[in-house]
Amino acid sequence: MSNSRKKYSKIYDQYVKKIYRFIFLKVKSAEIAEDLCSEVFLRGWQAYKSQKEIENIQAFLYQIARNLLADHYRQASKTQLVSAEYAPISDPDQDLEEKSFIQSDLERVKAGLANIKEDYREVIVWYYLDELQVPEIAKMLQKSEPTVRVLLHRALKALKNELE
Amino acid sequence: MTQEQLIRQLRKLREVEPSHDWVIFTKKRIFAQDLEVKKSPGLLSFLPLFRYKLAFAPIVSVLIIIGLFGFAENTVPGDLLFSVKQMAETAQVAFSSQIEKPKTQLMLVNKRLEELSRIAEDNLVRNLDPAIKAFQASIAQATKDLIEMESTGSEDPMIIKEIVAETQKMTENKQKVESVLGTIIGDTEELDNAISQLKRQTASYLIADLSQRTLSEENAELLNEAKQEFEEGDYDKALEKMWLLSNK
Repeated sequence: MSNSRKKYSKIYDQYVKKIYRFIFLKVKSAEIAEDLCSEVFLRGWQAYKSQKEIENIQAFLYQIARNLLADHYRQASKTQLVSAEYAPISDPDQDLEEKSFIQSDLERVKAGLANIKEDYREVIVWYYLDELQVPEIAKMLQKSEPTVRVLLHRALKALKNELE
Repeated sequence: MTQEQLIRQLRKLREVEPSHDWVIFTKKRIFAQDLEVKKSPGLLSFLPLFRYKLAFAPIVSVLIIIGLFGFAENTVPGDLLFSVKQMAETAQVAFSSQIEKPKTQLMLVNKRLEELSRIAEDNLVRNLDPAIKAFQASIAQATKDLIEMESTGSEDPMIIKEIVAETQKMTENKQKVESVLGTIIGDTEELDNAISQLKRQTASYLIADLSQRTLSEENAELLNEAKQEFEEGDYDKALEKMWLLSNK
């Protein structure tokens, strides 16, 4: 295995779960999340082997994921696809099952995250789930650190409101 | 719900993970795709021409064949690519008309002699035996073609002139090579007989042809001299005079 492949293999192991989660919390479908996540790492690898010098690989991978998510939603809005997840379910038993599932705290938080603003969702995931530091988030969003702190505060408030 | 409770619940979302199998499979797929991409370019893909392999395949093949034949042109018997050169020569003879075949074959005999001369000069001992054999094979074929030409009775004075010129050149070359090598490289008696017979036939044909024409006094005298030399068996001189007459 070449040196760059070895290095990228380590990068993959380090970030694959974070990137998957970042995508999954937005698309809410494991299959789509898997497709987009593998595309992120494929594009990342192509860029990595040609450039070698990527200043911040984490920020770079998140940026690819954000771009892919934007493309995904642009495409989805054009084709007007109705996800099975959002389709009305006629089976009354299934409705009951789903209700009980949604009532769980985790599902509520997930649903709440999906409903808040894009910026808010991103900073919450990065800060509370991926444990990125404020300066790192500031760099990725190309914003100042105080702005990111304010954004985090507002994001948490928005999510709380969404859940209440 | 307090802020602390919310943060606690958010952190629980860390449990969201892709399946272990998918993680391994995706990693393999990414690097496998990379290998496929690596395999696709050919050996000479750095040249723009070779990026369009299929489209350029016939052109490249032709260029390679031309290059091969060009390179083989400088080979001598015993070299790896000499057979390629021989293939080209066989094609050259095959495409010659029946009347031109002996002349083409004699040109090849001279070629073999030139190669022998090069081998002797460069002291290429390994190539000497194959070169002598190639010369002998070539002279046998030339003799065969000349005998065939006599039997068909085709007498084109210009071709005969060229055959005689090639034969003279061959005799000179052969003597030169033999003096360098210090040995006789092949028996040309049969070939000499065939050429002599051909000369006689040609001279006889030319005498008959010129005798029917109206000639000036000077030319008539030249023809008489040629006839006399023909009767004495000196066909070379008789032919020389008649060619002179024909070209006047």
